[in-house]
Amino acid sequence: MGQTLRVTDLLSSPRPRLDQPSAPAVGDGPVHAPDWSWLTDPADEPTPADLARARDASDLLLAEHGVTYGTDQLDGARPWLLDPAPVIVDEPEWSRLDAALVQRAELLDAVLQDVYGARRLLTDDLLPPTVVLGHPGFLRAVDGLRMPGGRELVLTATDLVRDTDGGWCAVGDRTQAPSGAGYAMEDRRVVAQVMAGVYRQAPIQRLGPFFQAMRLALRDVAPGGVEQPHVVLLTSGPASETAFDQAYLASMLGLPLVEGSDLLVREGRVWMRGLDGLERVDVVLRRVDAEWCDPLDLRTGSRLGVPGLVRAVRHGNVSIVNPLGSSVLESPALLAYLPRLARTVLDQDLALPSAPTWWCGDATARQHVLTRMTDLVLLPATRGTGAGAVLGWTLSHRERAELAARVEAEPWAWVGQEAVGPAGPVVDETAVGVGSEQPAAAGTPGPRAAVLRTYAVGHGSSYTVMAGGLARVADDHVVSSATGATAKDVWVLAAHADTDAAAPDEAPTELVSPRRPATGISPRTAENLYWMGRYAERAEDQVRVLRVVVDRWDDFHRRPASAGGRALTVLIDALTADVDPTAPAADEHHASLFGDHPRTAGDGTPAFRALVLDPTTPGTVARSVRRLAAAAAAVRDQLSTDTFIPLARIERALRDERARSRSRSRSAETLDLGATTDAQTVTVGLRPALDRVLEGLLAVAGISAEGLVRDVGWQFLDAGRRVERAQHLVESLLATLVDRRPRGVERLVVDSVLLTQESAITFRRRYQSDGGVAEVLDLLLLDPSNPRSLRYQVQRLREDLVAVPGPTPTHLLSDVVDLLTELDPATAATTVSDDGRRTRLAETLDSILWRLRAASDEIERQHFVRPVPSRPLEDAWDA
Amino acid sequence: MSRAYDLVHRTTYEYPQPVTDSYGRTTITPRDLPGQTVHETAVVVDPAPADTATYVDYFGNRTTFFGVTTPHTRLVVTSRSSVEVSRVAPDPDTLPTVAWEDVARAVADGALEVAAVDEQALVGLREAVLPSTHVRLVDEVRAWAEPTFTPGRPLAAVLVDLAHRIRTELTYRSGSTTVHTTQAQLLAQGAGVCQDFAHLMIAALRLHGLPARYTSGYIETRPPAGREKLRGADASHAWVSAWLPGAGWVEIDPTNDQLVDDRYVLLGWGRDYGDVPPLRGVIFTEGSGAHPTVAVDLVPAGSVPFE
Repeated sequence: MGQTLRVTDLLSSPRPRLDQPSAPAVGDGPVHAPDWSWLTDPADEPTPADLARARDASDLLLAEHGVTYGTDQLDGARPWLLDPAPVIVDEPEWSRLDAALVQRAELLDAVLQDVYGARRLLTDDLLPPTVVLGHPGFLRAVDGLRMPGGRELVLTATDLVRDTDGGWCAVGDRTQAPSGAGYAMEDRRVVAQVMAGVYRQAPIQRLGPFFQAMRLALRDVAPGGVEQPHVVLLTSGPASETAFDQAYLASMLGLPLVEGSDLLVREGRVWMRGLDGLERVDVVLRRVDAEWCDPLDLRTGSRLGVPGLVRAVRHGNVSIVNPLGSSVLESPALLAYLPRLARTVLDQDLALPSAPTWWCGDATARQHVLTRMTDLVLLPATRGTGAGAVLGWTLSHRERAELAARVEAEPWAWVGQEAVGPAGPVVDETAVGVGSEQPAAAGTPGPRAAVLRTYAVGHGSSYTVMAGGLARVADDHVVSSATGATAKDVWVLAAHADTDAAAPDEAPTELVSPRRPATGISPRTAENLYWMGRYAERAEDQVRVLRVVVDRWDDFHRRPASAGGRALTVLIDALTADVDPTAPAADEHHASLFGDHPRTAGDGTPAFRALVLDPTTPGTVARSVRRLAAAAAAVRDQLSTDTFIPLARIERALRDERARSRSRSRSAETLDLGATTDAQTVTVGLRPALDRVLEGLLAVAGISAEGLVRDVGWQFLDAGRRVERAQHLVESLLATLVDRRPRGVERLVVDSVLLTQESAITFRRRYQSDGGVAEVLDLLLLDPSNPRSLRYQVQRLREDLVAVPGPTPTHLLSDVVDLLTELDPATAATTVSDDGRRTRLAETLDSILWRLRAASDEIERQHFVRPVPSRPLEDAWDA
Repeated sequence: MSRAYDLVHRTTYEYPQPVTDSYGRTTITPRDLPGQTVHETAVVVDPAPADTATYVDYFGNRTTFFGVTTPHTRLVVTSRSSVEVSRVAPDPDTLPTVAWEDVARAVADGALEVAAVDEQALVGLREAVLPSTHVRLVDEVRAWAEPTFTPGRPLAAVLVDLAHRIRTELTYRSGSTTVHTTQAQLLAQGAGVCQDFAHLMIAALRLHGLPARYTSGYIETRPPAGREKLRGADASHAWVSAWLPGAGWVEIDPTNDQLVDDRYVLLGWGRDYGDVPPLRGVIFTEGSGAHPTVAVDLVPAGSVPFE
C-alpha cells in the first residue's frame, strides 16, 4: 500500500510531518502525506488493508456501473481506473484556490471576447497576435459572433499540479469542451460507498452545486425570448474515449444525448429529429471539438457536426456551449501572457501562477528556451494542452539539435515550459529522479506525476467552481487517462462540520426541470431501445433453450435411440436453426465486427460452449449479450444506472466461463470454443453459467418493467421484447411440434418446449398429465392471460405501438389476431398429412411468422428513419 | 478611364441520384473597392433555397449561405454582376524601393513605421506570414525561391521576379492539379493552374517573412485577333496580394506575369484557396455526388453573356 500513500502525497494539502523525518521526499518541498487527523476517532483511520478492500470494492462498482474510458479493439471498453483513497484539501486552502480559479475564468473569458471581437489585446506588449492567429483553435468562421448573457466562456477546466513549495500551479486550461466532470461525480459516488466509514464523518463539500450551476448556466445563454430552452448534449458518439462521461453528464443534467446526425439546420434554426417531426433546439452543450461541428463552415467532410450550424449561431437562434472557437485559449503560449493580461484587463495580479512558460515567437524567450532546453518541456503551441510534449532532458545531443532547428524554423509554433511539481526535473541530468525511464528514487516507487483538474461554470454574475475535481496520478510525466492514469476523488473538507454531511452527493436533476413530455428522443435512440428490448429477449430465449438442451444432453446423449435421445435430436435441430447461415440477415442489427461464421462442431456434437460463449457468432448467447450491452450503452442517458449492474454481471459470468473453458482446454495455445467435442465434457460448467446469465437477464427485464417511466422510449423497448418473444415462440413451435412423433418422444419434446417458454408449471397445474399438443397450442398461442402466449405478445405490441407517434402496422397484427382466432388447437394438433406433418398448424404458424417479421420491418421503416448520408460538394478547383 | 463589365459565374451539378438537401456557401460576389465599383450583383440558386443569408466574413468578403431542402438532381448556382473597374496597375519602376529584408524585419519586430501600418493592421500582416492549410512553408519552395531573394533587393523587384519566374519556369496546364496538390508536388511536376501558382508565390514570400494573401477573382481573357471570344470557357482566377510598405497591398498575377489592372475583377482575399473557394457545400444523398461544370463570362457591359 506504500504506493497508495505516495499517490495521495502529491496533491493533498501539504502537512509537514516532523515526526517522520525519514519520510521519502521527492524534491525539496514539504512532504505531502495523507492526513486523517480530522477524523474524530483516530481508530477510524483506514488501514492499508481497508484501502485494499475499498479498491476491490470500487473496481467492482465501476464495472457494474459500466464506467469506461476509451475502447480497445480486442477487449472492448477499457475500465475507468480509480483509487478510492481520496485527495484531501483543507477548506481555507481551497477557498483561496476557488477565488483564483474564478479570477482565471474571468480573465480567460475577457481574452476570448476580445479575440473574436475588437482584438485590442493583440499587441506585442500584451498578447502577441501570432499566439492567437497561429493557433488552429482560432476559428475565423465564427469571428464576431456573440453569445447571449454577456459571457463567452461558459465552462472551463484547469489542470493543476503542486509545485515544490506545495502551492498550486496551473499547467493548462481546457476550454474546448472540458471532459471529466461526469467521471468526477461518478468517482464521488463510488468512493462515498466504498469509503463509507470515513466519508460519513467527513464534512466534505458537495459536487452537486456545480452541476446545478451548470443547468442554470445553460439556461442563461438561451437565445433571447426563449423561456424554457430546449437544451441538448451533442456527443461525439459511443466510440468517443469519454463516451461514458458524456452520457453520464447528459443523464445528470436531464439532457437528450444527440449525435450530429440527429440534428439539422432549417430556416436558420437548429432542430432535433424527433419521432414526431422536428423539435427546436435552443442550446447545444457540445462535446464535439468545434472544428468538427459544421462541415460547411468548418472542417470539410466532418460527420460529427451539423451543416449550417455556424449559420444558425450567426442568426442568433442557437447558443453553443462552449462557443465555437473557444479552444484558442488552450494554447500553452497563452500561459506566458496571463500575468500581464490580468493586470491590464482585470487590474489585478494573477492569483494562480502558471507553470513558467516561454513562447518562442518572442526572440528573447526563444533564446532562453534554446539555452535551457535540457531543463524544459517543449510543447507545440498549436496543439491542445499537453499534447505532443517533448521532455528536453530525455533528448540526446543530436535530438536536441534537431528540435532546436525546428524551433528556429517556426519559432511561433513552440513554447518551453518549466516542469513543475515534486516530480519535476533536477538540473543535473545524472541526478536521480528526472528521466521518464528512471525510477523516482531508489526504494520509493510511486507516481511520477499528479494532476488535479478543476471545473468552473459561468452562471449569473460569476463562476461557480466545483468543490473538488478530478485528480489523476500516473507513473509518467504525462498524466493522461489514455495512457493509464488512475483517478482519485478530491475531498474538500469544510471548516465546520456540515449538518448534512451524511446526505448523498447527487446532482439535483429531474427535480429542477423534468424532461419534456412526449417525445424528446431521436429515431436513433428509439431504434437502440427497440433493439435493446430485442437482444435482451433474444438472449433470454437462447439461455432458456440452452438450459433445457444441456440438461437433456447430460441425460440422454448416450442413448440416442431412446425416446429421450430422439427428443434431444429434435431440440438440437431447433436450437442450431438459430445459427443457420440462411437465417434472415435483417435480424442482425449492427454490422458485425467479426466474420459471421456459424460454428457447429464437425462430428455432430453440438458446439454448446460456442453457442453460449462465443461473441463472434450470430445466434449465440454471448453475441446477443454483447449487442444488448452496445445498445444499452448508446442510450445510457435513457436508462437508470441500475441497468448496468446486471449487464456487467452477465458479461462477467460469460467471461469467467470463457476463462475456465480456456484452462480446461487440452491445447493450451489456442482457444477454440467449439473444439471440445468430448461428449461428456461438452457441457461442463455451462449450466451454472447459464443460470448466472439468466439471473442477470431477469434483472434487466425487471428494471425495464418496474424502473422505467412508461414514455415513448419504454414503448419501443417493450415493443422490441414483444416482437422478439413472439417470433421466437412461433419459430420454436415450427421446429418442434409440426412433425408428429411417437407418443413418448412427443411428450418429452412438449415438456421441453413448455420449459423453454416458462409455461411448464401452469401447464401441469392446468392439465396434470392429460395435456398434449392441442393443450400446448392453447396455452402458448391463444391464452390471453399467459404472459408467454403469442396472443399476449401481440396485444402488448399493439398497445406499445398505438402509444408512439406515427403510423403503426396494425393491419399485420390484426391479421395475426384473426389467424389465432381461427385456429382450433384440437384440429391443428390432429390434422396430419401422410408424411406425418401437422399441415394446418404449419400453415398458420408460417402465416403468422412472416407477418411478425413484416411488422418488425415496418416498425423499423416507420420509426427509425436514418438520415441520408452527407458528403462534401465536389470542389470546383480548375473546373 | 474605367471599364464596365457584365459578369456571370455559373456552377452546375448534375447528380445521377437524387439529393435531398444541399447546404452551400459562396464567395462569388465582387467587392466594392477603390478602383472597382459594383453596380448590381445577385446570387441565384436553383432549386430555390428555403433559407439564405448574406454576410461579410472575417476577411471582409461578401459570402452567401444557402440551404436547399427540396429533393433535386440538379443544382445551379449563378452569380450575376455589373461591375465598373478603373484600377490602374502600378508601374513597377515607380514602386517603393524598400528592401525585402527590411519589410520582413519590420513585420516581425512590429516596427509600425517601416511596415507602414497601425497596431490593428499589423495583426493582418502577422496573419499573412503564417503558413495556412494550402500553403506550407517547406524546403522545396525555399530552394526554388532562393535565387530571387538576393540580399538588399527591393521587395517590388522580388515580386516582379517571382511572377516572371513562375510564368516562365512552370507550365499552365488545366486539370494537372487538384485542391490537394502541394507546392512541393507542383514544383516536382512543373505544371499547374492559377491557384497553384498563387500558392507557390505566397509560400515563397511567407518563407521570407513577407506578408502575402490569396486573391480570388476573374480575368477578362482577350480573344486572339479576328476570332470570337470563347464565352463560358473562362474560369475562376486567382493571384497574389503582397504587402509593400508605401504601396499597400500590391495585386500581382503570376499566371500571366503582370500586375493586376482593369482587366481583373476582384472577389475577395483569404490566406489561401481554402478561405475563399467560390462555392463550398454539403449535400445529403445516397448517391455519389457529381463533378461540377463551371462557366464564367466577364464581358464588356452591353454584350450578351452566355444565355
